[in-house]
Amino acid sequence: MTTTEGAPVPPTADAAPPVIQVSGLRMSYGSTDVLHGVDLDVRRGEVFALLGPNGAGKSTTVEILEGFRQRSAGTVRVLGTDPARGGDAWRGRIGLVLQSWRDHRRWRVAELLTHFATYHEAPRDPAELLALVGLTGQSGKQVDQLSGGQRRRLDVALALVGRPELVFLDEPTTGFDPEARRDFHDLIERLARDEGVTVLLTTHDLVEAERLADRIAMLVNGRIRAHGTPAELARSAAAHAEVRWTAPDGTARREHTADPSRLVWELHREIGGPVADLEVRRPTLEDTYLRMVHQDEVAGTAAGPVTDAFDDGVGSETRAA
Amino acid sequence: MTAVDTVTAATNADGETSMADKGVGDGGQGPAKSRPGSRRRYWRAGWQRGGIEIRHLLRNPKELSGHLINVVVALVVAGYMDDDVPGTHVPMSHLALSGFAAYLLFQIGLVNLPQILVTEREEGALLRLRTTPGGIPAYLIAKSVLVVAMALATLVVLLGAGALLANGPLPHGVDNWLTLLWVSALGLLAVVPLGAAVGAVLPNPREALALIMLPAMGLLVTSGAMFPLTSLPAVVQKIASVFPLKWMAQGVRSALLPDAARAAEPAGSWELPTVALVLAAWAVAGFLLAIPLLRRAARRESGSRLGERHRKANLGAAPAA
Repeated sequence: MTTTEGAPVPPTADAAPPVIQVSGLRMSYGSTDVLHGVDLDVRRGEVFALLGPNGAGKSTTVEILEGFRQRSAGTVRVLGTDPARGGDAWRGRIGLVLQSWRDHRRWRVAELLTHFATYHEAPRDPAELLALVGLTGQSGKQVDQLSGGQRRRLDVALALVGRPELVFLDEPTTGFDPEARRDFHDLIERLARDEGVTVLLTTHDLVEAERLADRIAMLVNGRIRAHGTPAELARSAAAHAEVRWTAPDGTARREHTADPSRLVWELHREIGGPVADLEVRRPTLEDTYLRMVHQDEVAGTAAGPVTDAFDDGVGSETRAA
Repeated sequence: MTAVDTVTAATNADGETSMADKGVGDGGQGPAKSRPGSRRRYWRAGWQRGGIEIRHLLRNPKELSGHLINVVVALVVAGYMDDDVPGTHVPMSHLALSGFAAYLLFQIGLVNLPQILVTEREEGALLRLRTTPGGIPAYLIAKSVLVVAMALATLVVLLGAGALLANGPLPHGVDNWLTLLWVSALGLLAVVPLGAAVGAVLPNPREALALIMLPAMGLLVTSGAMFPLTSLPAVVQKIASVFPLKWMAQGVRSALLPDAARAAEPAGSWELPTVALVLAAWAVAGFLLAIPLLRRAARRESGSRLGERHRKANLGAAPAA
């Protein structure tokens, strides 16, 4: 959890109401269910990543939060207001960075930012913002002459000009080269750390989520399949270590365990010497994520509750102790 | 001026009501914004935006020459006419220049404006403004400013150049100037909301142009803008007289041509009360149509819809490239 110096947010953040509160969110188009009861809490000042493959329901979820779509069922509060009834004052407290924006191409960078400052009561200084996103050198350029990364950083500046409390970032680094990506990640880190802005980031890129987010929720097939800090997720992923060895009778063996050290110790005692071809492998968060996505593709919608993902694969192969 | 005031008053009212009925949920949140203050900001933003868009138009040689070429074509066509309007001593070129003046106003409202709206909707400018407090009222103010400026500039250049280079017509006396003023203003009011409605509905800029240009050219030929209406079959006259262009052209002729030219009118007179009535009816119908359609267009925009269209557009462009 990132906190601002001088105005620390308690790590539990139970005192302050969440910036985003979602419970039992459902969405269906006709007879197709896209979201099957999503629960989310985003706390003030954190970077929250909504991670999931394309088509998992990320965009639908975020567009409901942004007030662009009506939901089928569930409770949603963004900055204390139901987005379906969010008025201009509410909009002014939110910043949006959309992947698909290609607007105002003929405008000059500084001209555009200065113009959008006039809509807000107490806007940020455009020149200062351009410095923050690293576009001071481009301020006289026409928007359509910017590179993809510069354009997205301008979108961030435009989203910030009204001093929003919450910023939505929609797959912001899609199509970036590695350097532009790193620059953008640095910018988002600075935003959260120095500006105290709450960020909801959607991405299908686990590395991006791990790098930027204080907390991650994995959305697969319209359900949140796992959530927690990157460390928590990594721990619970790594808890299902895989141990491989060759038994004295020559057969290859494989077991999943939460306690590989104990298993290996037991194996040594059973065999009474070195264990042939012993290998202990702790799955990374990425393995878990990919497995979860894959499982869900196979299993379709017959998925279980939140913690399922990390219990899966343990049952059948766990060594009977 | 009538055009700006009426269009923006109506559109602003539109923005305000939607704000008012959506703003209910905001009641308890944050400090209540001072309504007059925020409204003043939207107006300032709208005028500023209009000014910037005019500047961009003037700096864009391609687009500017697109508008000027219309005027050049009108002058060249008029220059080649050296006979008189049948039954009068009024030069045919004067009738044609009056018709072109009306047609160019008609084209600004029903061809140029829809194209601008569709393009800006596709690029995401409309969505960005929707996510900005007061963005939609400011957008409508800006577009009104732009349209009035384009109309005024077109009339000044066409009639000015016509008078200087081609011995073209100008209004005689205050009465005729006033007639030109109200016919132009009411004519714009008849076509601009209609154009906005068309722009809200049409799918993409390229199709939009094809769909609008054909009927517009058809009306140019059948509305008596380029040659006397009496030379056309009665059925065509009847059909053309349903649409605003015929009446706009007739009104402009009444301001620019001597009274002797009335002989060439089907009714034998300028029918100014009917001109006012028909144009006012189109203006009312246009507003009734445009307000819900524009609202719907703005409401339907979201990041994923925008992205979807870009993907489609890219797919469409790929085989050609």
